[in-house]
Amino acid sequence: MVDPFLNRREFIGATAVAGAGLLLNGCKSDAGQKPAAAKSSLNTINIALIGYGEEGKVLLESLLNIEGVRLVALCDIWDYHLNEGERYLGKIGNRVRVYQNYEDLLAKEKDLQAVVVATPDFWHAPITNTCLKAGLHVYCEKMMSNTIDGARSMVKTMRETGKLLQIGHQRRSNPRYLFTLNRLLHEAQFCGRLTAAQAQWNRAVKEDFGWPKKYEMPASTLAKYGFKDMHQFRNWRWYKGLGGGPLSDLGSHQIDIFNWWLGTSPRSVMGSGGLDYYKNHDWYDNAMVIYEYPLAEGVARAFYQVQTTTSAGGGYFETFMGDDGTIKMSEDPSLCAIYREARATAVSWDDLIQKGYVRAKAVSAEDAAKVDVRETAQLAEYEIPVFFNKPPHQPHLENFFNTIRGTAKLNCPADEAFSSEYIIHKANEAVAAQTRIVITAEEVRA
Amino acid sequence: MTDSTEKKLDSAPCLRWDYTFAFWALRLWLGVRALFVGIEKFAAYHSVAMPLIDPATGQPDASGVMVNVNVKSYALANYAGIPAAFGDKFTHEPLFPKFALVAFDHILGPAFILTGIMLLIGLGTRLSLIVQGLLFIALTVGLVLIDQDAGVAWLGIHIALIAGAFLLVEYNRFAVLKKW
Repeated sequence: MVDPFLNRREFIGATAVAGAGLLLNGCKSDAGQKPAAAKSSLNTINIALIGYGEEGKVLLESLLNIEGVRLVALCDIWDYHLNEGERYLGKIGNRVRVYQNYEDLLAKEKDLQAVVVATPDFWHAPITNTCLKAGLHVYCEKMMSNTIDGARSMVKTMRETGKLLQIGHQRRSNPRYLFTLNRLLHEAQFCGRLTAAQAQWNRAVKEDFGWPKKYEMPASTLAKYGFKDMHQFRNWRWYKGLGGGPLSDLGSHQIDIFNWWLGTSPRSVMGSGGLDYYKNHDWYDNAMVIYEYPLAEGVARAFYQVQTTTSAGGGYFETFMGDDGTIKMSEDPSLCAIYREARATAVSWDDLIQKGYVRAKAVSAEDAAKVDVRETAQLAEYEIPVFFNKPPHQPHLENFFNTIRGTAKLNCPADEAFSSEYIIHKANEAVAAQTRIVITAEEVRA
Repeated sequence: MTDSTEKKLDSAPCLRWDYTFAFWALRLWLGVRALFVGIEKFAAYHSVAMPLIDPATGQPDASGVMVNVNVKSYALANYAGIPAAFGDKFTHEPLFPKFALVAFDHILGPAFILTGIMLLIGLGTRLSLIVQGLLFIALTVGLVLIDQDAGVAWLGIHIALIAGAFLLVEYNRFAVLKKW
């Protein structure tokens, strides 16, 4: 893994620039009105956002909340998005220079420390590799790449350049996920022995993205950047060769949680799915996969399903089931819960309540009625009362910038993300082959 | 004991310190009770987001999570004479005119505070006991109308204490104004 901390030379250089920047700023009466002119430093990190599509807009809202980070350049191949972003940022007093091509951006912007990449998946590897080689730290949205080779090349470049590469699995920096993993799953051991996991993202039918006809890109521009037409450009997620389909687009966040919370990679995956509903997509629109995780105490199987035709079944969540209890997590706090088995005695739940880690709900295991002798007592339900009041992506971006400053360690460096993403590529293969694929411990390492 | 001694005791009730102490107990209890019931009508709980504290270190939890903590505060803006839950029930009660509800809501808190202070310092003790008795009776009528039997029973105890206080009021001492 790359060393996240600055070396002595970088630190002295950066702090010297910071001091000079502060001195110069102090002499200027309008220093606050010309943010793009200030030098990048540890106190003020100059960044560029490459890709201002749907995800880029979400990331921008978080970036604007983070102190000490200045967006100085914006890049997108589509003028419509680029102008929209420039106008929006101008209105809030954040003037940026705009570029259609990321190579032009890198050639002209000489005072950058980092870039945030939110382009279609198939552009992640080339852009990230070029930026790392240009000496920039990179925050790249997941998936790392639409191919295993692309993702592996990113890890290789990260190691060669010594620069930081954070992958946008933002749940890894979500305070609620960190709290539940560290305090409840690890410290309190409230699940007991983990035996199974289940996660899903079920989403209702959604119309494909459209575009204003008068802002349609020329065919030559689309072809230059790898798109057949505007529909493919706007809906790249559903096209093979551009994105990775729903397991990659929606499932990657949650399958990454399997690896993270179970602390290892699976030894096999089997899958089923298909393109059964949409007529104009390449990728299948539904999938169900089962991973087999070899844990120290025995095997735990993890089931994942993604549906793009129904939001039924409880939306999106990740559930970890043990012989003492179960935790249900989600980026949506209202979907989270903890369930205690009637047999669980090892954990002092009163102690957890006293500490404010959980909050009991009304129904207790003792009150539950059984309708069949084979049925076990109803689970006692608890709430996780903690929350955080920031947009979901902000803590992960903050973790990235704090690591640049040397005050944190990346929560999702590319080499760790590779292991999660590798098994998603394998799940796609398993669905395509409708079979079980063995995964070795060696192959998941970049 | 001679007749003359009995007559002397009857004519000087203020010398019965046991009765005086009994009355003080009632006067102070009813005074404190009324004062703080009135003050509490200006109290409200607000949910405030605060970092979760790690019990082991006393510092905010490393994850950065927050918890909602209920914080109590007092302000004129918080005033609610009749609790909102009861207010809704009174609104739909045909025997309870709306103007009476509004008026009662406005005077209840200040009346309790005023009569509580009067009882504590001994200013118009009988008058303040009468006012409190009337308030408790008015509250009883309201609670009977909305079927709050437990509340009615509690008010019955308060009325009994007021009645006891009247029986002992002639032994009242250390009052700012003994008249009324």
